[in-house]
Amino acid sequence: MVVTEDVDLPSCSELTVPEVNLSTATLMSAGPYFGKDCEAINNEFMLCRYELDDPRACVNLGKKVTSCTMKFFKKVKENCLEEFNQYVNCVDKSSGNFSFSKCRTTQTVFDGCMKDKLNMERPDFGYFTRPRVHCSPSPAPESPPCPCYQKFPDATPSLPDWKPRPPARFGSRFYWMTE
Amino acid sequence: MAEACQIARKQDLPPPGGYKPIPFKRVPAKTYFSGYTLFAGYIGVTIGAIYLYNLTLKKVKKHEIEMRSAKMAIYPMLLAERDREYLKQLRRNRDAEAELMRDVPGWEVGTYYGERIYKLVPPDALVEPIFHEYYAHSSPTEWFKRAYIKLRS
Repeated sequence: MVVTEDVDLPSCSELTVPEVNLSTATLMSAGPYFGKDCEAINNEFMLCRYELDDPRACVNLGKKVTSCTMKFFKKVKENCLEEFNQYVNCVDKSSGNFSFSKCRTTQTVFDGCMKDKLNMERPDFGYFTRPRVHCSPSPAPESPPCPCYQKFPDATPSLPDWKPRPPARFGSRFYWMTE
Repeated sequence: MAEACQIARKQDLPPPGGYKPIPFKRVPAKTYFSGYTLFAGYIGVTIGAIYLYNLTLKKVKKHEIEMRSAKMAIYPMLLAERDREYLKQLRRNRDAEAELMRDVPGWEVGTYYGERIYKLVPPDALVEPIFHEYYAHSSPTEWFKRAYIKLRS
């Protein structure tokens, strides 16, 4: 493997946090809500992840993302468990790809509960597909110094300009022309 | 012998009054529509179909956007979880390689007998291993499961 002993990998204890141990249907049906609830930290994490392109650098932000998600699901569990489970059940079993379009009735019930008890609104249509402005507290990373690679001289210098360039003695090198 | 076979024969002749006339006159199929009506009908049905298609297309697009939105909302959380597990697995792989090549003299983990694979990156940069290296120390079943995940889903 290409990972040498010099590469500083975080230890297992640093990486072990309580994970969100939930099904895809659960995550998908709560997706818009916790995406909105944890938007700031999610954006910060994704920014770090794409700017630095290194999973090691963003482990702490990733932990915050997971804990924010956990906190959200605890809130839902306390307040709207019944409605949420009903909605998840519908999303899980109505289609093969967790479509929301089959579950508008249960979704309305769940939305109403979230609005009443947690004062959270479903983000408007296609909210997460649109570009959103994120004001990041972290500074931008330094761009790599250029030239980024070592420059080598050409191993075989070309023919000097003053040398004569007579036509080829045996014609073209294409085999169907010489044979 | 020739006299024994003498029978009265009757010549095959047309029926009295002659044969019926042969019906050679062309009988065209009944035309329900003229050519212009057919063209007009084609264009009309096509326009109607395009209208209905666009209605459905809008619905499908809206559905796709909604699903994509939900997926993008949960992506950071999934990525955070995946990153942690990935780093854990890299450590496991590195330890497994050190254990496997313990008795080989001159072997250094992550290099070819001390020669680095990527010479231009800084030594502590994390180069993500390719799939086969990542799964090198796992069982072939796990490798197959991941490599052919499409066959199973």
